[in-house]
Amino acid sequence: MLAMSELQIIESALEQAARRRRWARALRGLWQGLLVGAVLSLLLIGAWHLLPLPLWTLTIATVAPFLCALAGLIIGGWRKPVLNEVARWVDGRQHLQERLSTALEVASAKEGSSWRDLVVTDAVNHVKGLDLRRMVPFRLTRATRWALVILALGAGLGFVPEYRSKRYLQKKAEQQNIKEIGKQLADLTRHSLEKRPPVLEPTQKALDAVTELGDQLTKKVLTRSEALKDLANVAEKLKDELKEMGKDPALKKLERAARASTGNDSQTAAGMQKQLESLQKQLGTPTGNPEALDKLKKDLENLKEAAKGMADKNSPGTEAERQRLSESLSALSKQMQDMGIEMPQLDEAIAALAANQTDLVLKDLESSLTDLEKLRDMAKSLQQLQQQMEKMGKDLAEQLKNGQPEAAQMSLQKMVNQLKSSNLSPEQLEKILQEVSKAVEPASNYGKVADHLKSAVGQAQAGNKPAAAKDLAAAASELGNLMQQLGDAQALMATLDNMNKASMCIGSCQGWGSCNKPGFNPRGGKPGSGVGTWSDGTAEWDGKWNDRWDNSGIVRPDMDERGHTDRGEGELSDALRPTKIKGQFTSGGPMPSITLKGVSIKGQSKVTYEEAAATAQSEAQSALSQDKVPRAYQGAVRDYFDDLKK
Amino acid sequence: MNTETQIHNFRQAHSALRAELGKVIVGQDAVVECTLIALFAGGHVLLEGVPGLGKTLLVRTLSDVLDLSFSRIQFTPDLMPADILGTNIVMEIPGGRREFQFQRGPIFAHLVLADEINRATPKTQSALLEAMQEHQVTAGGELRKLVEPFFVMATQNPIDQEGTYPLPEAQLDRFFFKVLVGYPSAEELSEVLSRTTTGEGVKVERVLSREALLDLMKLVREVPVASHVKDYAVRLVLATHPKTQTASPIASQYLRFGSSPRGGQTLLLAGKVRALTQGRFNVSFDDIEAVTAAALRHRLILNFEAEAEGITTDHIIGQVLRDVPRDAAAVSV
Repeated sequence: MLAMSELQIIESALEQAARRRRWARALRGLWQGLLVGAVLSLLLIGAWHLLPLPLWTLTIATVAPFLCALAGLIIGGWRKPVLNEVARWVDGRQHLQERLSTALEVASAKEGSSWRDLVVTDAVNHVKGLDLRRMVPFRLTRATRWALVILALGAGLGFVPEYRSKRYLQKKAEQQNIKEIGKQLADLTRHSLEKRPPVLEPTQKALDAVTELGDQLTKKVLTRSEALKDLANVAEKLKDELKEMGKDPALKKLERAARASTGNDSQTAAGMQKQLESLQKQLGTPTGNPEALDKLKKDLENLKEAAKGMADKNSPGTEAERQRLSESLSALSKQMQDMGIEMPQLDEAIAALAANQTDLVLKDLESSLTDLEKLRDMAKSLQQLQQQMEKMGKDLAEQLKNGQPEAAQMSLQKMVNQLKSSNLSPEQLEKILQEVSKAVEPASNYGKVADHLKSAVGQAQAGNKPAAAKDLAAAASELGNLMQQLGDAQALMATLDNMNKASMCIGSCQGWGSCNKPGFNPRGGKPGSGVGTWSDGTAEWDGKWNDRWDNSGIVRPDMDERGHTDRGEGELSDALRPTKIKGQFTSGGPMPSITLKGVSIKGQSKVTYEEAAATAQSEAQSALSQDKVPRAYQGAVRDYFDDLKK
Repeated sequence: MNTETQIHNFRQAHSALRAELGKVIVGQDAVVECTLIALFAGGHVLLEGVPGLGKTLLVRTLSDVLDLSFSRIQFTPDLMPADILGTNIVMEIPGGRREFQFQRGPIFAHLVLADEINRATPKTQSALLEAMQEHQVTAGGELRKLVEPFFVMATQNPIDQEGTYPLPEAQLDRFFFKVLVGYPSAEELSEVLSRTTTGEGVKVERVLSREALLDLMKLVREVPVASHVKDYAVRLVLATHPKTQTASPIASQYLRFGSSPRGGQTLLLAGKVRALTQGRFNVSFDDIEAVTAAALRHRLILNFEAEAEGITTDHIIGQVLRDVPRDAAAVSV
């Protein structure tokens, strides 16, 4: 029984030693793991600073020391040592001459053995003197100090700016730019689809393909050439689709008319008429024209100046002047009344002048001037609207001839309504018949519209008004279809324009909003200053590329500010004669450019357009064949000059 | 008598023997200690040293302090086996008849001093083989048991090679220990001179009877040995086996043959005795290490390379002890 308790004493001491030893090993593993992790972290941070590794490398570098420390802790403390092994370890550590290990072994022998008791008792005597804290101390190892030093080094290295080659930076900028352009392209196309879903299935498919391409550019990591290739492929499909649509003569006609029309394309004839009536109502008189109103305003301003001068003088001779001013104001008032303009402030000013209230006179005159200005502006708007209305076809034939399908559709609808009404006089029918007959020929360009009109004429001549109305309605419907198809074509063209722009943006590595401007900006912002007049004035010029496109010696008289009218009729300034400036490309550098877009010079050209276009195209072809144009720009240049030919 | 008392008696006997031997033998503690270990383990000892270092005196004194019969055989080249074992001679018996009777040789004693054993021919040396291993001799066609305890204490001179016959390996292996007797220190030599050049003789007491010695020899064998300590002894022996997986590199390089299993037995037995003499009840790694040289040095056969380079077996044993880890499992805890 005594031996049993003595054995328990030994086992208890050994278990404590084992626990402590296990913790010591776990802690040692922790510090060793931390050291390994710190070294790994330092290497990764170093590598990240020197090589273009992905950003997650830094994340790994951050967590590696902690993960390795944890792994070390687990590995170190994982194995639970057997008691016998602990006894041997303690024997060796404390120079107990194998007393504990022998005691443990002998203890398993039969109880009551004298040797067993002797050995166990001897072991217990030695166990009692054990100091586990001294035997297995918990202290920081050398690995800890090194780990902390290396961690500090790693943290310090984190503040050192990383090295990236220019090539890599450019590649990254390109990839980012491709993603942005892809997003922009997809968003624009999606917006276009939502705003006006295409009628034709091929158009829908083509636009879907563009959206998909945009998404691909956003999601995938592509090189510039790959992105341009993809864009070119889809653009080719769009062009084919447009070519298919262009075969329809009706659409061609409509498209040409749409291109020729001004900014009020979307404004319908009815809308314009309504706006016109509203303005006329506000203006109150049909005689009011802006020029006359402008003259009245100038006269009134003169009179106001005179009144102001009179107010400064308090001499008795001013009575005569006041009389003259009063007469002038009365004459002006009468003139306005003759024009149908009511101006009560002017009468009040005359009364105030008579009462010698100069301040009141000035105030009333100022008020009158403001009213006159408003009237003049309204008259101007009215005049513009009238001019636009004049451009609209007067009848169906003209509308069809001018390519105004909406107006034509409205005219047809009006005719249908008239034909359906019961009180249509024979004169009115005759008028409709004449108008429709006149419109048959221009309608030949609009597909089946002409057939429907012909049929309507026939029916009307036969006195079958309902059938004629039906044919006219069919013609209107056909026009509607054609308009929708035109809408599809326009959407395709707009998307194609967007794709061309995207190609340019990707090719020149510029953002969507700035790629139509010249110059390459390595900072990725707005393009740099070019030689031309139309560069981005807000861009900063740091003189970095002076050696590449220094234009300080070039004289540009055309840069002088001037109005549109001072050039003389049909004359072209000498400064506008094209001169060839030889440029020089530097390998790897951005391409210098001169903006020529948006030139607006009034006057007549002495060179025919075809000649100029042919010359430019020939020069462009020569430049392309001699590799003078960078590969990335070749597609855009070729497309541009192909378009000129059309 | 319980074990504790027996152990107590052992320590007393050991101390008494040391004390009595110390009266005659000056210094040479390691030699004396090894001799006593071999005595309690029941093994034979080969004492090797230059003449005049007290080898014979040690054995003679040992016989004096033990209540055992003693005989001394001076080995010479003309010594015959019968001179050691005994022979049949014609004896006249009452009645006038004559018959052959066995005349016992000097081997029939508890403690046999084989002085300068390497001077006898191998044939004569071999006469000791059966006696040393099996404690019996076969002579005149009869098997004769030797008295117990039976110890052979042999001496040999390492420098006088002329007219000597190196002991055969089988003979060497039967010696429990080979103890190298070295020169005494200045103090020891001075003491030796003082004792031996005066007229006063030293008388030693008998401190251990034959029966008591037999009991203590039996007690020694009961000392427990932990398995990993035994394993250490095994690994040491195996490390001396050249060209094997367990061999120490130096053993493979310089040994022709390693230790026999008797080497392992010797390590454990000697360790047990040493543990008791150190006041412990178990054998430790230190015990094994302390007796390794004496237990193995005569059991290792050097190859030509070792002989040529002057490498000794002690040098190899030292390296083997460094090569073989004591307890691999304990290190990994």
